[in-house]
Amino acid sequence: MKLRNVIKGVMGASVLAVGTGVMPVLAADITITMAAPDWPPTRFMKEHFDQSYTSPAGHTTTLDMDFIPWPSFYERVAASLTSGEQKYQMIVTDSQWLGAFVEGGYYMDLTDKIAADPELTAILKDLHPALVSAYSTYPHKTRAQLEEIGEVPAPGVSYYGFPQFPDTYVTFYRQDIFCHEGEMAAFKAKYGTNLPCSYEDWQDTDWTKWGQVGEFFQRSKGEMLAGVTLDDDFYGIAYQAGKGYDFSTMQANAFIWQQGGDIWDESKMPNAQAEGVVNSEVAVKAFDEYLSYLQYMPPVSQTGQMDIFVIQDLYMQGKVGAIIDWVGLGEPVLDPSASKAHDKSAFGPAPGTRQADGSIDRTGNIGGQPFVLTTWNDDAVVEEALNVVKWWLKSDTQLEAVANGGQSGLMSVMADPSYNGLRPWNRAHVEMIDWQKDVWHIPEFFELLTQQQEEFDRAITGQIGAKEALDNVAEFQQELLEDGDYIE
Amino acid sequence: MANTEKTRGGFGAWLLDPKRRGALLVTPAITILFVMNIFPLMWSFGLSFFNYKASSLKVPKFKGFNNYEKVLTDEKVWERFQTTAIIVSSSVIMQLIIGFLMAMLFAKVFPLRRIVLMLVLTPMMLSFVSVGVFFKLFYEPTFGIVSFVLNFFTEERFVLLGSPEGAILGIVIADAWMWSPFVMLLVLAGLVSIPKYLYEAAEIDRASKWRTFWTITFPYIKSLLLLAVLFRTIETFKLFDVVYIITDGGPGSSTETIAVFLYRTAFQFFKTSQSSALAYIVLFIVIVLTNLYLYSVNQRQEEVE
Repeated sequence: MKLRNVIKGVMGASVLAVGTGVMPVLAADITITMAAPDWPPTRFMKEHFDQSYTSPAGHTTTLDMDFIPWPSFYERVAASLTSGEQKYQMIVTDSQWLGAFVEGGYYMDLTDKIAADPELTAILKDLHPALVSAYSTYPHKTRAQLEEIGEVPAPGVSYYGFPQFPDTYVTFYRQDIFCHEGEMAAFKAKYGTNLPCSYEDWQDTDWTKWGQVGEFFQRSKGEMLAGVTLDDDFYGIAYQAGKGYDFSTMQANAFIWQQGGDIWDESKMPNAQAEGVVNSEVAVKAFDEYLSYLQYMPPVSQTGQMDIFVIQDLYMQGKVGAIIDWVGLGEPVLDPSASKAHDKSAFGPAPGTRQADGSIDRTGNIGGQPFVLTTWNDDAVVEEALNVVKWWLKSDTQLEAVANGGQSGLMSVMADPSYNGLRPWNRAHVEMIDWQKDVWHIPEFFELLTQQQEEFDRAITGQIGAKEALDNVAEFQQELLEDGDYIE
Repeated sequence: MANTEKTRGGFGAWLLDPKRRGALLVTPAITILFVMNIFPLMWSFGLSFFNYKASSLKVPKFKGFNNYEKVLTDEKVWERFQTTAIIVSSSVIMQLIIGFLMAMLFAKVFPLRRIVLMLVLTPMMLSFVSVGVFFKLFYEPTFGIVSFVLNFFTEERFVLLGSPEGAILGIVIADAWMWSPFVMLLVLAGLVSIPKYLYEAAEIDRASKWRTFWTITFPYIKSLLLLAVLFRTIETFKLFDVVYIITDGGPGSSTETIAVFLYRTAFQFFKTSQSSALAYIVLFIVIVLTNLYLYSVNQRQEEVE
């Protein structure tokens, strides 16, 4: 377009605006560069954006996704932010990073924007409260604290993120062996209880039965499994027990919370302690139970390298009967070109701890990621980025995302009659999301996490016991948190 | 003619004057060196005297030698130095033995020698990340090749990386596999430079094989062996990729080298100033080793002359 035509257009628009008494925002070319982990939920977002997004402000908007492989995602984002290059307008972030990057001045406080925009307020009200607590608030507010306040947005609370992909862990299992008549009869004869076959059976599965399943299906090469002679060793169960990132903490915390133990609770600063809480008798017993099931898992568990990708891979290779893994890793399991279990898999809620009244507590550690805005954008980019947030969290977009390997945190979408039928794990996801809690969000989270992972890893590889591991964690955390004035 | 004279005058001509041409040619390289190396080096040296955290908005305060004191009195740092020393010494000894034996083999003439030699040199041309991933998969106890082969004899899965000793051995094997060919190349260069008449004279004198090796072969290769030791010590001291991929420093922190610890301190915990101080301590050690290396190079030069 020639410059003369552009000037004519702008003048025409201005005359029209003055004549009608409205001053419109001038349409512009806006590029939003977003740091995103490279996996199906973000790939779909980009693809769907290119196909269907229209800017309500009339801008020509480009979503430039910088797809970063998961293993280097944190390092790449952190390097970009701290270097001051100001490359990203939006970032898909783990909830634990909020403190570090809010305190660093990189993530934008959206509280006023949400309060001033009825559409954003409505989205926040419709989001599952466990997600608002984990993904959005800093300083961290628990779900109970938010519910006690009642108002949305809650006064005195700062909000930063909206869910890009809300994740929970569920059970992936081989229906062909768990529903095999011979195996079911043998299991009943051995343990006096049913082998979980249907979704409802998994709803009634606690950790004791999880251990029994592990012991029952541990078979050697040459033995029979569901009427077939095994050509390799087979293992009953697997869950994450890896040293990297948070690949044991996420599962071990579930045991600790479900049995009434706790981690250092940042929402109760500065009175919450680490010593005596992190290494309480209940926590030690719970962590010991987490360790006790490793004997039924593939031998890689003895190396402390059994992370979420390794168990997914072993399951897809047909070497494990049931795993507990993130919904976000479910899509490849159903891919015939990659998975031997693609046509044999079903999904159920993760096991939990049976309470005195017979119910099962499934409290778990939330996964997934919110997306946030950065602080260096001009008003037009901020407004357009918020339009992208609104577009992504519209019911239609969310249902499309769910049908294509994504997940939703909107209660209205999860209540949609079509929702459970969109993907085979959706029912379990809805059931699990209500049990979710999060770890720490303070800037020192990586130090807390790394030291805990090291101690857990020593326990997983059999160098120390549960008590020594948690004593070491508690001592380290108490010192670090006292030095940082988080504990008085 | 008038145009040519015009171009010869003015700023262009002044700049291209032969007196300045040398300086002009090296200026881009010096600029890049300054911007990419010297300035960051000086900047991080300055940071090591403050309490700066890259992830924090707080204004850094001058702390003098506080970070150096903290690092040098931190038990964790000494543990990592100890782990690094164990890995360096084990790996370099293994590389020397394997590299030397391979050099003795390739000093002889045999069929397909050139092709085999080329294949043997391949590992050192691979990237660290590839080697790390290969060995991680080799050691995988469920479907890895090491466990698969040993399973025929023991009927049990072989879990090498499940203990601190096994994990260190796993890293040492991977590093030695990659770099033994480098030692071999250096030693081989020494072996082929030995004049044949010396061996003929030794044969005439009926010298034993041991005597021949000790009095003829070894003097020719000893400086090269020393070079190999120093070069590989410096490199292995900085070992990061292979450790990070194969064990991530585990089990626990039993294989966490000083380079991995430094990386965590700087880029995961964002203790920027403290990690700068540690980096300078590591740099000091590397400089000492490099000077030893240069000294041995000079010795070799004197021997040749």
